[in-house]
Amino acid sequence: MMLTFIIFGLLLSGSIAWVTDNKVFAGIKFQAKWVSLLSVLALGSCFLLLVYFSNQNFQQLQLFERVSWISSLNIDYALALDTLSITLIVLTFILAVVCILVSWEEIQEKSGFYYFNLLATFSGVIGVFSAVDMFLFFFFWEVMLIPMTAIIAIWGHENRYFAAIKFFIFTQVSSLLMLVAIIAMAYIHQQQTGVMSFYYQDWLMLDIKIGVAQYLMLGFFIAFAVKLPSVPFHSWLPDAHTQAPTAGSVLLAGILLKTGAYGLIRFVIFLFPQASENFAPIAATLAVISILYGAKMAFAQSDFKRLVAYSSISHMGFVMLAIFSFNEIAYQGAIVTMVAHGLSSAALFSLAGMIYQRIHSRNLNDMGGFWQSAPRMGGFGLAFAAAAFGLPGLANFVGEFLSLVGAFQVFPIMVVFASLGLIGSAIYGMLLFQKTFQGVPLKQVQDLSVREFFICGSLLGLLVVLGFYPNIILGYAFGVFA
Amino acid sequence: MNPVENIVEVTVFTAEMFVVLSPILFLSFGIVLALLLIAWQRSQKMIAVFSQVILVFTLLLSIHLLSGNILSGEGVQITTLLKVDQFSYLSLSLLCLSALAVVSLSGQALKSQIEVHDEYYLLILLVTLGAAILVASDHFASMFLGFELLSISLVGLVGYFREHKYAVEAGFKYLILSATASSFMLLGIAFIYSQTGNLSFAVNSAAMSWSPVPLQLFNSVGILLFFSGIAFKLSLAPFHFWAPDVYEGAPTPITLLMATVSKVAMFTVLIKCCFSQGYYNNEYFIDVIIIVALLSMFVGNTLALKQQNIKRLIAYSSIAHFGYLLIILLISSEQSIDFAWQSALFYLSAYILANISIFTIVLAYEKQLSQNGQERDVRIDDWQSMFWHRRTEAVLLVVSILSLAGIPLTMGFIGKFYLLNQAVISQSWWLVSGLVIGSGIGLAYYLPIIFTVFKPSEKNMLKSHHPKGVLVARPRIFITLLIIISFYLGVFPDSFSQYIM
Repeated sequence: MMLTFIIFGLLLSGSIAWVTDNKVFAGIKFQAKWVSLLSVLALGSCFLLLVYFSNQNFQQLQLFERVSWISSLNIDYALALDTLSITLIVLTFILAVVCILVSWEEIQEKSGFYYFNLLATFSGVIGVFSAVDMFLFFFFWEVMLIPMTAIIAIWGHENRYFAAIKFFIFTQVSSLLMLVAIIAMAYIHQQQTGVMSFYYQDWLMLDIKIGVAQYLMLGFFIAFAVKLPSVPFHSWLPDAHTQAPTAGSVLLAGILLKTGAYGLIRFVIFLFPQASENFAPIAATLAVISILYGAKMAFAQSDFKRLVAYSSISHMGFVMLAIFSFNEIAYQGAIVTMVAHGLSSAALFSLAGMIYQRIHSRNLNDMGGFWQSAPRMGGFGLAFAAAAFGLPGLANFVGEFLSLVGAFQVFPIMVVFASLGLIGSAIYGMLLFQKTFQGVPLKQVQDLSVREFFICGSLLGLLVVLGFYPNIILGYAFGVFA
Repeated sequence: MNPVENIVEVTVFTAEMFVVLSPILFLSFGIVLALLLIAWQRSQKMIAVFSQVILVFTLLLSIHLLSGNILSGEGVQITTLLKVDQFSYLSLSLLCLSALAVVSLSGQALKSQIEVHDEYYLLILLVTLGAAILVASDHFASMFLGFELLSISLVGLVGYFREHKYAVEAGFKYLILSATASSFMLLGIAFIYSQTGNLSFAVNSAAMSWSPVPLQLFNSVGILLFFSGIAFKLSLAPFHFWAPDVYEGAPTPITLLMATVSKVAMFTVLIKCCFSQGYYNNEYFIDVIIIVALLSMFVGNTLALKQQNIKRLIAYSSIAHFGYLLIILLISSEQSIDFAWQSALFYLSAYILANISIFTIVLAYEKQLSQNGQERDVRIDDWQSMFWHRRTEAVLLVVSILSLAGIPLTMGFIGKFYLLNQAVISQSWWLVSGLVIGSGIGLAYYLPIIFTVFKPSEKNMLKSHHPKGVLVARPRIFITLLIIISFYLGVFPDSFSQYIM
């Protein structure tokens, strides 16, 4: 019940924020940002309490709700949690707070509707991470897209309509392929047991012929590879990230890309172990290409956000490589990379937003020498760039190191190439830092405000803590492979 | 052996049949009364209310019959000509609902004219009657009767505003093409008859193994011609050329009538005929269906991409939607007939609801344009920044566009889900890929509409473009109701599909 309350509570508080924005009740002037911040904090603590007091072993999926929804097709409303989803939901809540805080001053127009969309996206994402009925999963998967597209299309930058349509069409078409695969699975379940089922745990029992499983796996894989994104399905990402408002980019890079990785782990690997093992060489090749291509393209950008966007492609390549290596070290690396990338890319995009607010440009050629006038911002910039290229002591290093170590046992040659990506990331990371903060000062900029300092400080704090003590999230044991 | 002997002659008209047929009888009786009413006193208000009353009662009667047990199972055969079951009555309810919407929305479109428009309402009722006969028919003769009644009344309606720029062109186009369609169809029916010797749907032509091979060809050609006649009406590619012009030229409520009543009735009778004749076993027919479906999805979606006129856009999108719907005809076995009906009717209701919603808004804007002295069709640009000025209408519009695009939370998604289910079960992968790609292309013209609605208003745009309080209370309640229904059925489709189970 509590989990449903959290998901729909977010949606409801979004509506409340929308309705009460800039209205005065009982002498208090309601503002959407305050309503959403408080409700996200409250619901986030609800979630922590729920996990803390439920006393269950989250190594396995623990079912929280299961109610019949569409009985004619045997579709349930079923939610469950395990350590993977808990990790990602906690990440979602942390970044939700970041998203609201970075929008604090950026969004002045139509703010009520903006926060409604933001909270609706969070609620969809949490639904994605906890749904175990495949129809419900698909439902949330699509529902989180609509407000996200609205955020890009309404509050984005100059080319926002094109970016929003591209984003939507890519994800929609690929997810329809997944829908076909979902229906085919339900139908196979019907053939084998006599009843249709969309329930994840039922599907784990299915025995699917490898020839069919290969195709079905591909249906899921494409949907998640688009979201991840992996070459050759990546071309929506630079546009969407660049054109979205700051919080939109944070949300996309920090959380939405993780739903792709989550889907790969939970559905592709677990439902089709044999088929994905056969497919692993192709997936690993795609991953390595993504790593190198993302790094190369990031190096060639002159747009701050576009650079970070391409670096995301590179980093998510590590995740995919690790996921398809089928061993525990690599998996843990994948999960740490997911969290670390969520935090570090969120930090870089927030930084981009802060700079944009000051100089109204995302072009690196308009920047330079900011260190002089804004040393605190420069310090954070250096730290986040270092996180992006995997400096030891920050979380990204742990993730990438574990991923590569794990993957080396399976794809030694590919890992050699993938490691080149680390050098690439150092190059573009330094490039980003130098062009922004070093060189001849072009403009005087204001240093970080208290709010901005808080955003950057907490993200950096988390990165450092996870970098030194990654055991917080390394606890995820993979029952299937252990 | 003559197959005619196999048919049990049903001529006795029992009380049960009378009860089952009551909605159609009531509708016909109502039309006669409407004629008398016109003879007695010509008043537009009166006839509008009267036809609404008739439609509401027909709707209530058919819903009443649906909720009873009388229709469950095989359905009721009423002479050889008609046969009704729960599916045809659900379809009839949808028809009445859309006709009701057309009649209610017509009021504002007709106000701009000077004359008294009794015939207009009478013709709408006749169209509905034709459609009702279509969905109830079980015989090529009764089907043709309904078909002609529907077409001829529609021709009158399409050219109704004769002083409009495109009225005559649209009327003529529709007249000639529907005459061509019916002659195709008649020839097809004749070919089929030449082989089966019977015009009843129940005679399974696929099972006719007694005929020599040359005659089989006649049968195939007959089926093909028959299908192309229906495809004209459904404006499936490559028989779609009339649709955008006629949609554009017809009065807007009549466009809605064509998009909903006429198409739904034709599609219902197509399913009915195909299923009872067992065409799904006929490989050639299946190939034709696949080609036509793929072509319609592709043509409809790509041609809609660059449209600015809403009515033309809806015409093209409906081509694509009926392309998707053809998936229903490819069932793998007799067991899946019920599920196919269920999918078809759900999809059709989603389609009808979305169309009614969109046309409600088109009409509201058309009225406003004509108040500003502009007699023209609504274009997408006219909806710019609607969300920030007319919230309720904009929400309805966005929901129905999303429903047409098949995005979750709306009925259209569940409909698409049903269709995909159907296609996966019958393993028609071509159509699955057509549907996936088609929806992808479709988004490229649905989304810009939504973005236009959300676009902030430009400085130079007159405030009078979206004056507040143009809509009086009654349509606002109607609009809110539509929004609630589309969301509710999109999230809880069970509450609707229980009627078809």
